[in-house]
Amino acid sequence: MIQGVAKSLPGSFLFIFQKLSFQVSFSPDEASNVVKECIEGIIGGVDYSQNKVNQWTASIVEHTLTQLVKQGKPFKYIVNCAVMQKSGAGLHTANSCYWDTTTDGSCTVRWENRTMYCVVSVFAVAIAL
Amino acid sequence: MDEDQSAEETTFVVEEITTVIKEAVESTIGNSSYQHSKINQWMSSIVESSLSQLTKLGKPFKYIVTCIILQKNGAGLHTASSCFWDNSTDGSCTVRWENKTIYCIVSVFGLAI
Repeated sequence: MIQGVAKSLPGSFLFIFQKLSFQVSFSPDEASNVVKECIEGIIGGVDYSQNKVNQWTASIVEHTLTQLVKQGKPFKYIVNCAVMQKSGAGLHTANSCYWDTTTDGSCTVRWENRTMYCVVSVFAVAIAL
Repeated sequence: MDEDQSAEETTFVVEEITTVIKEAVESTIGNSSYQHSKINQWMSSIVESSLSQLTKLGKPFKYIVTCIILQKNGAGLHTASSCFWDNSTDGSCTVRWENKTIYCIVSVFGLAI
């Protein structure tokens, strides 16, 4: 039996996705490709600019999230993006997750150009069906 | 998030989580200066102790804990997060901590089961 479930997002997006009779697991490779395209599209050929960086990080997370949700899978998503100027400072990041390892997953994409580093992490948590 | 706490404790309570995280960070890097050789150890310790304290709270949540440590060097760092979840039960909180040589940013995302 298929039921339609509507959920509302802040920013007034409305998505409808269907309850399926089987559980899907997260595909890190697909998500990784989505992320790479989004990053390239937004900061592909540009240099670090302090007054634009807030705009860039917001665009990257929004576009990535929209593309992931369009896939229509029964997941909740968290997309995290960090952009750092290349200046010799040390930056370290770590994640730890408490979830269902059979269905949930994450993927992290590290990207750089001449003047900045960009690290995007996607976490996908299955919705209990 | 709203302040009302339902009796079943199934909402994400920001203040409680913030306290847990601050303790975990303080106890790991409270008085230390940035040291490249110890960073991995510090990060694992912060993230693991935060997660185990959170699971001890016994709430029906899945958790994601993210930690960023940055050396104070004048570099610019910007982060953003976007989440697709159930607004009534899920939530996040971010704790920014610093000392003379280190910035530490810990984010916790809680998703109701």
